[in-house]
Amino acid sequence: MEPLLDNNLPAIACHNVRTEYQSTLQRPILNGIDLQINPGEFVALLGMNGTGKSTLLRSLVGLVPINQGDIQIYGTPVDQKHIAAVRKNIGFLFQGGGLVDQLSCLDNVLCGCLGELSTWQSLWGFPQRDRRVAMQLLQNLGLQEQIYQKARQLSGGQRQRVAIARTLIQSPHILLADEPTTGLDVSGINQVMDSLAEMHRKGLTVIVVLHDLALAAQYAQRAIILEQGKVWYDGDCQTIERQFARLQSLSQFQSSKVA
Amino acid sequence: MKFLDQIRPNISKITSNQYNIWAARVCLVIGIVWAYIWSLNGLKVNPELIKTSLPYMTDFLSRLLPPDFSILDVAIKALIETVQMSLWGTTIGAILSIPIALISARNLSPFWLRWLASLLQNAVRSVPSIILGLFFVAATGLGAPAGTLALGIYTIGYLAKFYQEAIESVDKRSLEALQVSRASWWQVAQYGVMPQVLPLCLGYTIYMFEYNIRAASVLGVVGAGGIGFELVSYIRGFEYNKATTMMLVLLVVVTSIDALSSQLRNKFKSD
Repeated sequence: MEPLLDNNLPAIACHNVRTEYQSTLQRPILNGIDLQINPGEFVALLGMNGTGKSTLLRSLVGLVPINQGDIQIYGTPVDQKHIAAVRKNIGFLFQGGGLVDQLSCLDNVLCGCLGELSTWQSLWGFPQRDRRVAMQLLQNLGLQEQIYQKARQLSGGQRQRVAIARTLIQSPHILLADEPTTGLDVSGINQVMDSLAEMHRKGLTVIVVLHDLALAAQYAQRAIILEQGKVWYDGDCQTIERQFARLQSLSQFQSSKVA
Repeated sequence: MKFLDQIRPNISKITSNQYNIWAARVCLVIGIVWAYIWSLNGLKVNPELIKTSLPYMTDFLSRLLPPDFSILDVAIKALIETVQMSLWGTTIGAILSIPIALISARNLSPFWLRWLASLLQNAVRSVPSIILGLFFVAATGLGAPAGTLALGIYTIGYLAKFYQEAIESVDKRSLEALQVSRASWWQVAQYGVMPQVLPLCLGYTIYMFEYNIRAASVLGVVGAGGIGFELVSYIRGFEYNKATTMMLVLLVVVTSIDALSSQLRNKFKSD
């Protein structure tokens, strides 16, 4: 693993981040997010559906534009001018893997190094050196049998592990994972979460969107709970069940007031 | 009792919503029935006429039999020309459809460009193939070249739409994953869009080739070459038995190409 960038700077810093106003929600999805995540942290991002967890993750890599505030990755602002430099440091795990179903596992992993190759270099395939690295990564993740299989033939857990290999080949400093365990069975969930924990042990900053509080408490060091596009709780994982119970009773109270 | 009082407003809300849904459904059914009755009135169908026309139909069909196989060589030659017309017409149409589909796709182009592209698609689709045939016969004279060009333009109306839908059905997350990996526009197209779109587009193109063989037969009616030209000549000369041979040969070829293209399309789907 390459040494991290300037460790004195926060890995991620968000100041008053707001996205476009949504008439269906009657507020922006992100409605004034303030948070700071330091290098090497393992953070679980929690919250009810529609509170802005995935949107926050996507805005960190410039997939969702922000209307107000600013986001910095290791001190570099996330904007049109710096987006390539920002993405160089970040790996993103999409829900379901975000693989190209028609490509083999090997090719899907190799797609992770497209940013390092010119269009001309990748026009006729990938360099042998990269192919060897991709194969090694797949083997390390227990997918040696599936190297040449099409991505659509894989199980949910295998897909996520291929996506992890695709992320690892980029040697990122930050890993963002958007509900990586959704739709997986218990063994799939454990495999994916153990892989994330392993990456964290090697020095990566990991931010993972989860719905399972027990998983968050088991793997993460810090929990951030979002509610209505804002940070509602930011602290350790020991009290998250209590925090969630409080949040639910508050929501019930507010909805009964509206009714 | 207290609990029931609490939920009563919600129950009345649900009930009024259900009434609204049912009213909308009933209106929809009435609308559909009205559209069918209105269309039938527009057609001015006379049941008496259908009854009296039956003997004419059976007379026409009886004159088609037995088929006259003495013109089999003419039929095969005309059929080969039809297949050639379809091959080139489909290819020309497919090539011209690619840029139109690209600028029509919701996930690739801005609204104003999509609007222009869909206007172009609708304009091409609304011109009947016979009119295209007449136009190209006037431009290049009687024969297969006119039919081929007419098929090429006719194909755009359909393939551009099919290609557009194939491009729009690409999994958004897989493309975003490539973008986050800092892939260039071309790399996203090569490794993200093409593998997902190509099997679908090849399937559609093969289907269009098969369809164009039948369309080419119609174009022959206006002198744009192919088997239709011979077919109409025999019917106009009251040589119905020879026309039957032409239709039988066409049936054999269309059925064979249909079977072949189904297999190819299944293969593309499973790849």
